[in-house]
Amino acid sequence: MITWYHSWRAAIRIARRDAWRSKGRSFLVLAMIALPILGVSAADLTLRSAELSTEQKLERSLGAADARLTDPGYGGAPILQTPNGENFTPADDFEDKPYPEGSTDVTKAAPQGAKTLKDATGSAKLRTEHGLLHTEIRELKAADPMAKGMLTLVNGRFPADGTEVAATTHFLASSGLQVGSTLRARGFDREYTVVGSYELPDSLKSDQVNALPGALLAPLDKALKADGLPGTGAEASYLVSLPGGFTWNMVKETNAKGVVVHSRVVGLDPPAKSDVPFYQKNDWGDFGMSASARAAALAAIGTVVGLAMLEICLLAGPAFAVGARRSRRQLGLVGANGGERRHVRAIVLSGGLVIGVAAAAVGTVLGLALTYALRPVLEEYIGRRFGHFDIRPLELLGIGLLAVLTGLLAAIVPAVTSSRQTVLASLTGRRGIRRSNRVLPVIGLLATVLGAAIALYGSVFSDQFAVVAAGSALAELGVVAMTPALVGLFGRTGRLLPLSPRLALRDAVRNRGRTAPAVAAVLAAVAGTVAVATYSASSDAQQRAEYKAQLPHGAVSVIMDEAGSARDVPAVRSSVQKLLPVEVRADISRISVGSANCSVWGGSDGCGTYEVVVPPQNECPLWATDPANPDGDPAERFSKEERRKLAEDWRCQQPGGRGVYVPDGVVVADASLLKVLEIDDPAAAKALAGGQAVVFDKRYIDKNGGGGNDDGKDGTDGRDGTDDGTDEGGTDEGGTVRIKLITDTEAAGNAFDEGREAPGEIKSFRVHRAADDVDAYGLSVIVPPAAAKAAGLTTLPLGAYYSTDSLPSTEQRQRLEGELDKTGSSVMLHIEEGYTSENSIILLALTVFAGLITIGAAGIATGLAQADAEADLKTLAAVGAPPRVRRTLSGFQCGVVAAMGVLLGSAAGVLPAIGLRLAERREQLKWYQEALDNGWGGLASDPHVPVVIPWATLAALLVAVPVGAALLAALVTRSRGALARRETA
Amino acid sequence: MSTQSPHTSQGQQRPVLRLQQLSRVHGSGATEVHALRGVDLDVFPGELVAVMGPSGSGKSTLLTIAGGLDTPTSGRVVVEDTDITAADRKTLAALRRRSIGYVFQDYNLIPALTAAENVALPRELDGVSARKARGEAVAALEEMELGHLADRFPDEMSGGQQQRVAIARALVGDRRLVLADEPTGALDSETGESVLALLRSRCDAGAAGILVTHEPRFAAWADRVVFLRDGAVVDQTVRSQTDSLLTGQAAEL
Repeated sequence: MITWYHSWRAAIRIARRDAWRSKGRSFLVLAMIALPILGVSAADLTLRSAELSTEQKLERSLGAADARLTDPGYGGAPILQTPNGENFTPADDFEDKPYPEGSTDVTKAAPQGAKTLKDATGSAKLRTEHGLLHTEIRELKAADPMAKGMLTLVNGRFPADGTEVAATTHFLASSGLQVGSTLRARGFDREYTVVGSYELPDSLKSDQVNALPGALLAPLDKALKADGLPGTGAEASYLVSLPGGFTWNMVKETNAKGVVVHSRVVGLDPPAKSDVPFYQKNDWGDFGMSASARAAALAAIGTVVGLAMLEICLLAGPAFAVGARRSRRQLGLVGANGGERRHVRAIVLSGGLVIGVAAAAVGTVLGLALTYALRPVLEEYIGRRFGHFDIRPLELLGIGLLAVLTGLLAAIVPAVTSSRQTVLASLTGRRGIRRSNRVLPVIGLLATVLGAAIALYGSVFSDQFAVVAAGSALAELGVVAMTPALVGLFGRTGRLLPLSPRLALRDAVRNRGRTAPAVAAVLAAVAGTVAVATYSASSDAQQRAEYKAQLPHGAVSVIMDEAGSARDVPAVRSSVQKLLPVEVRADISRISVGSANCSVWGGSDGCGTYEVVVPPQNECPLWATDPANPDGDPAERFSKEERRKLAEDWRCQQPGGRGVYVPDGVVVADASLLKVLEIDDPAAAKALAGGQAVVFDKRYIDKNGGGGNDDGKDGTDGRDGTDDGTDEGGTDEGGTVRIKLITDTEAAGNAFDEGREAPGEIKSFRVHRAADDVDAYGLSVIVPPAAAKAAGLTTLPLGAYYSTDSLPSTEQRQRLEGELDKTGSSVMLHIEEGYTSENSIILLALTVFAGLITIGAAGIATGLAQADAEADLKTLAAVGAPPRVRRTLSGFQCGVVAAMGVLLGSAAGVLPAIGLRLAERREQLKWYQEALDNGWGGLASDPHVPVVIPWATLAALLVAVPVGAALLAALVTRSRGALARRETA
Repeated sequence: MSTQSPHTSQGQQRPVLRLQQLSRVHGSGATEVHALRGVDLDVFPGELVAVMGPSGSGKSTLLTIAGGLDTPTSGRVVVEDTDITAADRKTLAALRRRSIGYVFQDYNLIPALTAAENVALPRELDGVSARKARGEAVAALEEMELGHLADRFPDEMSGGQQQRVAIARALVGDRRLVLADEPTGALDSETGESVLALLRSRCDAGAAGILVTHEPRFAAWADRVVFLRDGAVVDQTVRSQTDSLLTGQAAEL
């Protein structure tokens, strides 16, 4: 043991000094290993520091208070809650009774003798330098001792009276305002002075304005409501401070009064699960990660770390091989002085150890330093302040050990190889064909076959990506092990080549020991790149195929569907027309049920909604509620085969939601909309002009008033008659679309729950049916304004569609966006540019990366070859070869290594990518089949998972990289060799 | 100089190195080369034997086989009572750490180690603690008046200094056999003389040495000269005769 220790010390000393002597190579390997370590240790530090302790979390949410009381909105009905108050439910069952609703006075629920502090939040649009910003408004007396720790003052002070506010630094930055500016809200004349800036430690990116209680929310709400606009939606909670804290028993008592409590004492010392009625009632499952999910995540991390280490080892290995080769004589001397094979191994391995330890130290120290230095940036990035700088020595040690392990692993093969050399061969530098290992290629072949089989199994019989990945990794290792044998195969092609390349190839093949690691390194880099490139090119093709345009190419839409935004629509419509190269503008409106301030989806006070009634005969049987069993899944009435068949049925096809988001895709517009949507159907235009609605979703057409066909499949026949020009200007097929206006949404919801028809007034329109192959970009029904008016529908402006002369330029777009920002409401602007791929840059970066690695590895191998070929070159020079042969030879040596590595790597990389894609296709097919079996077929589309080979990337790698490597090597090689020095014979 | 004649010591002491009927054939068939043919040689404590001969006469092969770096095709090599022809790799390595020291023409020292560390290397490889090995190394260097070089790296030393440190390393610990393969080959003649003087003095102190050399001038430092030609010993001479050889047979070579 002691002996072992002492001889290792000597080995480490040699390795350490060697590493220092060849600084360039050491630095390269060190960087290769240290960079990932830096990243991982910095990530660990950031993650750990961002994790807060319970005390810190409580301080940020409760300040110095003992608890926060919140009204859950159950009208004071007793509730049950989890200890942290995040989940709660009414204590009673409300299956047969209406669910409790309404507010309750929280302050009354507070225990006697408790001090309370109101903390209310609402939201409003505030006027900024750039326009309007939707901002949270928080009324809290921030200077109160109870609020300490919740808001961190950055600048100035907190408001002292009703005319002052403070704002978060993020709000000031995004609004362009500063401390001292005046602040106004939209729809409210009163001015406030910003007297300070603060931040929320847990949410640095929130836009929030702080005012004293009653100073802003209540008067603003009043002004908005008077103007018919939606209010601030203010909600209040109360911070409570009382001696002794808020115990779990007190929480339960408060729950009985219908109030949720978030208590400090309970948070620090949570009650036993059996003591929490909430868990008993709800049979509450642990919603955290299940054990198997954790295991799967762990396995995924393990695989990634393992693969990364493998690649680094393959890349760093040759550097150690070069080192061992360069110091061959030194290792021979060790042998001559009585060093055994294990001593030689120890010296080369120590090289890995030294670099690994250095990389671990450099990586973790840099990671620490960078994290420390960039702490404010990191905090901004993740959006919350760290609790404290949390250094976990054990975790960092573990990460560091990974570096040491990587270094050692990378040095193993060179160590074994150099220890196998006889002392005499090492000392004399005698060359000659070393018998290559015959077992390794066989093992490699077995591993390749086995790995390929596993990957094949994974891609054909299972849908487990992990199986494919593991199989591919094994196969890649196998190919690496086979490299020496494969390199031998390349040698056979040399006969036809001219002198320099022939010499280079033969030399590379004869010295497989040095060629193979370099080829393996190139192989590893290229295989990874090609795999990722193939995979991303394939998924890019898939995304391109799956992309659904929202509009014809180049067309533009603006939609404003917020509550109360209708009044701003006309201004927005004209600014788009003014700033973009608009050809045709088509204004669209929506049907409104209730006041002008209702949003599209209704639901709030006095706001209703509408729906298009699907005639019973058009209803998809898979979805139609069974009146006999309204609670059951309608699809369960059918067998699997029937469901599959029904999935093909036209009644069960649901157009994908895109474009305008209005209920059932109904808009009110005239014929210009058809022009913008490039729907060339004169009959439809005529129908709209004649007051008929145009329907794109034939499920909505009720034929009872019209023609005889009822299966809806021969629509084109029916449409032929439209050219006759009946007095209605529409189709002789006839039919109507019925729109039901629902004013009482609650009653409608109950009716739906019970499987009844929702109550509501029905408006019918004569319709013209568009051809089946027309793409209406998500619209289902166009109702002409005149018809809407005639039917007595209330409509509200929703926005506009535009066709353009040319795709709007970036400047035009920026100007428009600037203009739209000034509008009071949020505007959804869409400019259809077609599918834009984000993969090309990634592919380019990958190609460049693989190219650099290839050139680096090939360069290392060339350096080695040059050192070895000195004798050959002398002989060549002696028989009269011109000096440039030296250059061309070195160029070809580099090129040969690069070409072999790239060729093998491309093959090794394409296959796993194809396997992964096939596995993905299987998985998606499985889901699709399941969807069909369950009767959801109409919603899912037939999966399209193409396999695309990235030919451009492959071509660049296969041709450009070897040629580039060869040229580079030739350029940097001196034509004249160093003076020969006599070596011991 | 030795006060004992090698001939008298032969009777009293056992040889440190004994080569018996040593043959070495490189290659086979058409490329067969007989590097050594039945060589017998004994080297005794306190004796320095010079091996001379033309290129390809088998000088270096003799040395590598004697040191266990190469194995003979037939014959026996006995180093301090151990038959190394039958020894395995580990035993041979241990023998090189404890019994045999090598000095080559150049690149003798490990560039990454200081002089003292180079000398201490065989001992450290043997498991001696770094401190003790270094102590022994410094002692050995001082004994050879090289103590001032102890902390220098090889590239901070002249060629002669390097070779003298290499001799110190060859003899550190209990080692008593130095195999020197043209140790002066890369040095000018004056420096070469100083290196040989050191080797001579170590042999006088009790070590046994084989010196392979081209130059009769350096062979003159030896007690005995063995002439090799085509792998066979063609002549042996004791030191008293060496001088006369300079004008005779050696001149022909």
